[in-house]
Amino acid sequence: MKRLTTLFFALLLFFGMTSRNASAQDANEIMKQSHLAYFYAGDDGISDVTMSIVSKRGKERIREFTMIRLDNEEGGNQKYYTYFKKPSDVSRTTFMVYKTSEGNDQRWIYIPSIDLIKPISADDKNSSFVGSDFSYEDVSGRHWTEDNHTLKGEETLDGKAVYVIESVPKKAYKGFSRKVSYIDKETMLPLKEEYYNKKDKLIKEFTADKIEVIDGIPTITVRTMKNIKKGGHTTVSFDKIIYNVGVKDDIFTERYLKNPPRKYIKK
Amino acid sequence: MKNITYFLTVLLLLVLVSPSHAQLYTDGYVQGLFGGQLEKDNPTKSDQSVSETRLQVRMESIGDAGEFFSRVDFVYDGLADETEQYDWEIREAYLKFRLGDKLDFKIGRQILTWGTGDLIFINDVFAKDYRSFFLGRDDQYLKAPQNALRMEYYNSIGAFSFVFTPSFESNRLPTGEKLSYYNPLVGTVVGTGMGDSLYFNANEPAKTFGNSEFAARFQRQVGMYSLAFYFYKGFYKNPMGLNASTMMPVYPRLQLYGASLRGAKFGGIFWLEGGYYDSKDDPDGDNSFMPNSSLSGMIGFERQIATNLTVNLQWQADKMIDYDLFEAQQNPSYHYRDEIKHLITSRWTKMMVDETVMVSAFVFYSPNEEELYFRFSTEYKYSDEVTLTVGANVFDGTYVNTDFGQLSLNDNIYTKMTYNF
Repeated sequence: MKRLTTLFFALLLFFGMTSRNASAQDANEIMKQSHLAYFYAGDDGISDVTMSIVSKRGKERIREFTMIRLDNEEGGNQKYYTYFKKPSDVSRTTFMVYKTSEGNDQRWIYIPSIDLIKPISADDKNSSFVGSDFSYEDVSGRHWTEDNHTLKGEETLDGKAVYVIESVPKKAYKGFSRKVSYIDKETMLPLKEEYYNKKDKLIKEFTADKIEVIDGIPTITVRTMKNIKKGGHTTVSFDKIIYNVGVKDDIFTERYLKNPPRKYIKK
Repeated sequence: MKNITYFLTVLLLLVLVSPSHAQLYTDGYVQGLFGGQLEKDNPTKSDQSVSETRLQVRMESIGDAGEFFSRVDFVYDGLADETEQYDWEIREAYLKFRLGDKLDFKIGRQILTWGTGDLIFINDVFAKDYRSFFLGRDDQYLKAPQNALRMEYYNSIGAFSFVFTPSFESNRLPTGEKLSYYNPLVGTVVGTGMGDSLYFNANEPAKTFGNSEFAARFQRQVGMYSLAFYFYKGFYKNPMGLNASTMMPVYPRLQLYGASLRGAKFGGIFWLEGGYYDSKDDPDGDNSFMPNSSLSGMIGFERQIATNLTVNLQWQADKMIDYDLFEAQQNPSYHYRDEIKHLITSRWTKMMVDETVMVSAFVFYSPNEEELYFRFSTEYKYSDEVTLTVGANVFDGTYVNTDFGQLSLNDNIYTKMTYNF
């Protein structure tokens, strides 16, 4: 269904584009489609994730976890469940996020060594996700309605036809002042994103390093965030991805924070 | 003997959940912890506060019918007497399984936690290890294990938890060996450096069925808030009473009723918790050897105030019931508590350098007990395997017989190195 919608909008855009000049509305629609393709693939998804965090000096740290995602509504509320496997000092820790398209997310962590469930104050979506170069928002997505989008043009990136879109936050935002996205016309996935700060200096660069079609859904399976301001980068690889598993809402409760759903989470 | 029983239990549990296809996973760490006393005249045995090397081995086996998990510590204690230098403890060894859709069981030696406070416990009367807490061991050691059965039942109304602990498990308090403390029978701060006769040896309740501990909680989500009610029947976890005939400290009977509310508000997390401590051995408050009943309440708020800087603030008020009777029993030449005892705490946590450096400070301060406890630590994750920590524990108080004031000779600094595998 989603692919059809994507195709429909892609066609709509194509015809729209040829008949008149690119408008803000087109850019909005592209970013919406991109957001849905990137962050809302399928109705749910499960994946093993390996995060390689490389410092400026080249030292590598590894995070391994399983992530379960459920979309409560397309483009709207989502729930995330994360089970950490490595490093060993955080192994068996679980983490849960209720993402809301409006307002603050809710986050909980369960620390098994002290049997403690703790809600985490989550008003800063720009803070780093487990010490990586990805922020929480980079992982779960910044809602497209929070920025004003302009279609800057169309070009070819690594042999793929892309839309070039500039996004400026509607409200002043710590994460970036301006973002340039290169959206693949075929899959609607972002192939590259450049983040600029207030002084219009490039601070972060996202690249989709590998795209695979999984269960019919084009998926970025390897992605990198380069921290240009600080130096260093984080590469995230997704493995054993499955979509439309039929994940139930009750997984995202304190019961399962304490007792990981072994149906989905193997060691 | 006790250790052998534990060992056999672990083996048995391991076998029970190990169908041919279940795999066994192992990890853990090796840790060195060394600390020095900052006060010269502390009556403990050594100038060092702690000197130990610890190996923790975690084993996990996940089968179709259930899961087994164990965490066993092997410790070399450089400050202990020669015969007691090598020790080991099963921190956890439990079996976890599900019956039907709505019942979860966790049976065996386990760590238990509930309630909303940050290092303030009102309804969480599961065993604590304050010795570890004051000496700089990892946070996980504040919780002492207990042999228990936990059953949790979930339905549309909420979650019902029941914890049955057959044999009473007390808090682990300073013994004078590494940490000195105020002994009310002697009227002064004591430690083993002053001679073994001053040991604080409380009598534990007899191991009978009637003396087992029972704790229950009901919890449900109300919109954005988590609401809970608590009940406990057992004993005060600290030896707060005195046996009038033997003049030995005892653990008085306790029944506890409480409630809590926690949720996201004002860009952070707030929590409210209260509990009524019903002192069963002194229902009228007229027994001078037993603690009076009390009512305890707490309010707290936590929020991220800058990038990677999280701050919280808590205030607890503890009101003694029948205070006039208590006051009439007191010797005016010693300090005694007010009717309402206030405690204010604050935690500051700053993460730096891609979360590889964590600086943390926690302060407890009671304005009317005139006492203070300050915890400070800096942790550096050199790699995924190696973590280096330095920290300090500082106690101060006007009076020698308050919770933290009695510890004021125990100021210490420590360093810790951990290798995770």
